[in-house]
Amino acid sequence: MSPSSDRPTVPLGTSDMDLLRKFEPVVRFTKGEQFYPTDVERYVAECSLWAHYPDGREEIIVRQGELTLENLVQQRPAVFGTVRFLRFIETLTLSEAAQALSDQSRLRRRLRNYFQAGMGRLARGGFLPRLADALFSLSFLLRGKVSSATAAAAELAYHRMHDDDEKYVYYGRVIRQNGWTVLQYWYFYCYNSWRSGFHGVNDHESDWEMTCLYLFEEEGQLVPEWAAYASHDFHGEDLRRRWDDVDELDFMEGHPVIYAGAGSHASYFRPGEYQAEVTLPLPGWFSGLMRAWNKFWTEILDQPAGNPFRIPFVDYARGNGSRVGHGQSHAWSPVLVDESTPWVSQYRGLWGLFARDPISGENAPAGPMYNRDGSPRGSWYDPLGFAGLDKVPPPPQALGYLQKNCDEITARQNELENLIPMKAGDLQVLGIKLKGMEGNPHLAKQYAALEKKINALAEEVKNLRRERLENGALLQGLNQRLERMKAGVQDDPRAHIRHLAEPVRAARVRFDRAAETWAAISLSLMLFAVAGLIFFAPNFIWAGLVIIMILFVLAESILRGAFIETMARITLILALISALILFIHFWEYIVVGGLVAMGVFLMLQRLRELTG
Amino acid sequence: MVRKQKGNRKKRPIAVTVIASAIVVLFIVRLYQVFKPLFDMGVFQLGMIGPLYDSGGLTEMGRALLDSVFYFILAIGLVIVLIGFLRMRRWSWVVLMSWVGFSMVVGLVDYFYFEQPNYAIMASDVVIAFALSQAEVQRIFGIRMDIGESLL
Repeated sequence: MSPSSDRPTVPLGTSDMDLLRKFEPVVRFTKGEQFYPTDVERYVAECSLWAHYPDGREEIIVRQGELTLENLVQQRPAVFGTVRFLRFIETLTLSEAAQALSDQSRLRRRLRNYFQAGMGRLARGGFLPRLADALFSLSFLLRGKVSSATAAAAELAYHRMHDDDEKYVYYGRVIRQNGWTVLQYWYFYCYNSWRSGFHGVNDHESDWEMTCLYLFEEEGQLVPEWAAYASHDFHGEDLRRRWDDVDELDFMEGHPVIYAGAGSHASYFRPGEYQAEVTLPLPGWFSGLMRAWNKFWTEILDQPAGNPFRIPFVDYARGNGSRVGHGQSHAWSPVLVDESTPWVSQYRGLWGLFARDPISGENAPAGPMYNRDGSPRGSWYDPLGFAGLDKVPPPPQALGYLQKNCDEITARQNELENLIPMKAGDLQVLGIKLKGMEGNPHLAKQYAALEKKINALAEEVKNLRRERLENGALLQGLNQRLERMKAGVQDDPRAHIRHLAEPVRAARVRFDRAAETWAAISLSLMLFAVAGLIFFAPNFIWAGLVIIMILFVLAESILRGAFIETMARITLILALISALILFIHFWEYIVVGGLVAMGVFLMLQRLRELTG
Repeated sequence: MVRKQKGNRKKRPIAVTVIASAIVVLFIVRLYQVFKPLFDMGVFQLGMIGPLYDSGGLTEMGRALLDSVFYFILAIGLVIVLIGFLRMRRWSWVVLMSWVGFSMVVGLVDYFYFEQPNYAIMASDVVIAFALSQAEVQRIFGIRMDIGESLL
C-alpha cells in the first residue's frame, strides 16, 4: 500500500480551477474579525490612485469613482523613487472621523461581533516590556500612522461592499516546478486592523495573505504532500507541514484548515493565541551597546539572556468566528490568476495608503507579485524556495534520485578498487627507482624531479584511499535510507522544522485577575510615584527613580512567579555598579592584590613541579 | 558496621566557601557595629548611666542601645543564613541574595548622597553577589534548573 493511499487525489490533466477547488482551504476566523477575503475589483473601484514623489509631494492620479482595474495598470512614467499607492479611505475631517467612529460602534452592536481579548498581552509580558510598549506607542507620533478613524471608515466601507454583494474570494494560481504542482491561494483583505482592533503591531490599508499546497504525481494522480502558510517571524522550512501530520494540520472534509490571525490575517496551522515579539526600533549606537551588554551578561557573567526592548504582541487565531470554505456557511468564489493577469503583473504600486512609515509596518503592501519596493516577490517566482522545498524532490522521484546517487558512488568505489592498487604499485616502482639513484651525485637533477613526481603520486594515492573510505561511509548511510524508503518508512513529519509556531499556554501568570489589574495600572502608578518623588523628595530624584523601578519590577515578578530570577538579576546589576565604585576608589590595592595573588599562584605551581 | 561513604555527599564548590567566608566577614563587621555604639557611650567602663528615653524621644544612650540591638539582630540573622548556606538550603540562597541586594541599595544611596559608605560591607556584598550568581552555585541550590522567563 502506498503511503499516500489515504490522501485525496485528483487525476493528472485536471483543470487548474478544479485542482484549486479540490484542495481549497477552509479559513477559520476569530470572533470579532472585521474584514474577510474579498475581490480586488470592488476595492479598486472604491479607491483613488496617488503618487508620492521623492521631494515629498503627493499627487492624485485617478480620483475615487474613476479607478478601475483597467486604468490602474496604465503605463505612467515617473522619476526614480516615486511610490504609487491606492487610497481606500480619503482624508477625513474631524466631524467625518467622529461620525465614522460612532457608526463603527453602531455597526458592531448590530452585528454582535465583539472581540474578547481574554488574558491581555500586557499581562503576558513583563513590566519593562510594558514600558517599552509605551515608548512604541509614542513612536507613532514620529512615524507615519494609519488613524483609528481610518480603520473605522474602512470597516464601514467594507461592510457596505459586503452588504451589496457578499462574496468571499481567493485568487488561485497553479505552478508546475521541478516535479511539484504548487497550488497558490492568495487572499485579499481591504484592511489590516491588527493594531486598532486587536492590540497588535500595525494597521494598514489592504492586506495580501498567501498559502501554498504542494502536490506530486503518482500513478497518474496528483497527491498532496505539503501545506505552507505565510506567517509572522517564520521562514522557509518552518512554514510547511506534511499532509499526514494530523497533530499539526487540521482538515475539514479533506480540505486543510487555516486559522487566521484576528486583524493581522496571518495564517496558522493550529487554533490558539500566538505571541509575536517586536523589537523596539532603537538607534544604531544603542542597539550596539545592547548587543555588547548582552554578550557580557550571557558570556562573561553566564546569566540567562533577556531583552527588555522586545514588546510582546498577541495574534489571536482562535478559529471561533466565521468560517469560509467548502461545506461552511460561507463558500469561496475562486478567481484564477497568473502573470498574464494585468493587475497582478502590471501594477507595481501599493494596494493601500502609503503612510510614510520608515519601518514599513503601517504602509500598505504591494500586490501578490511584488514587494513594497517594486522588486519581484520571492513567494511568487520561487514558491518551492518559499517553503524550503527547492531541495526536496517529490516522493516518487526521491527514491530514483537516491538510487542514482548510490549507483554512482558504487561505480566509483569499483573504479577505486582497481585504481588504488595500480597507483600504489606505480608508487612502489618509482620508490625503488629513487632509492637506486641515491649515492650518484651526477643524478641529482633527475633525483629531484623523480622525488617531486613521487610526492605528487603519494598524495594522489592518499586522497584516493580517503575518498574510498568516505564513500563507504556515505554509501552505508544512503543505502540505509534507501532501504527505509523502499519499506515505506517515512521521516518524522516535523524533522525539517527548526522553530515550531506554537500557541502560548493559557496560564502563564499566577493570580490572573491581580496580574491583569496590575498590568493595566502599574505604568500609571509608576508615573504617580515619580510625580510624588519630584514633589516630596527632589534631592533624591535619581536614587528614588531607581528604587521605584526596582520595587515595581519586583512586585511584577511576584505576580508572575519569577521573583527569584528577577531579584537575582537586579542584585547582580547592583553588584556590578558597586564593584565599579570599589575599583575607582581602591584600584591601586586591587591591582597590587591581584598581582600578589598571581605571583603566589605561579610560585606554588612551580614549587609543586619542583617537589614532584 | 557500614561506614557512610563520602562520595554520597553533595560536593561543596569553592564559591560556597568564598561566600561563607564573606558572611563571616560581614558577621564580624556587624559584631563590631553591635559593640561600637555601646563602647562609645562608655557602657563597658561605666555601665548604663542615665535614662534611655525622655519626653523628646530616645536619648543618646537609647539610640546607641537601639543601634546595638539592630546590628545584633542582623548578626544573628547572618549566623542563621550561614548555617543554612553551609547545609546548601535553597531558602538560604534566596535570603542571602535578597539581603545583599537590599544592602547594596543602602550602600549605593550612602555613597551617592551621604558620601560615607561602608566599603567593607560593599566589598563583601559584591563578592557574595557574584559568587551566588555562578551557574554552578545556582544549580546546587536548585535556583537554576532551566532558563526562566525574562522579566528584565
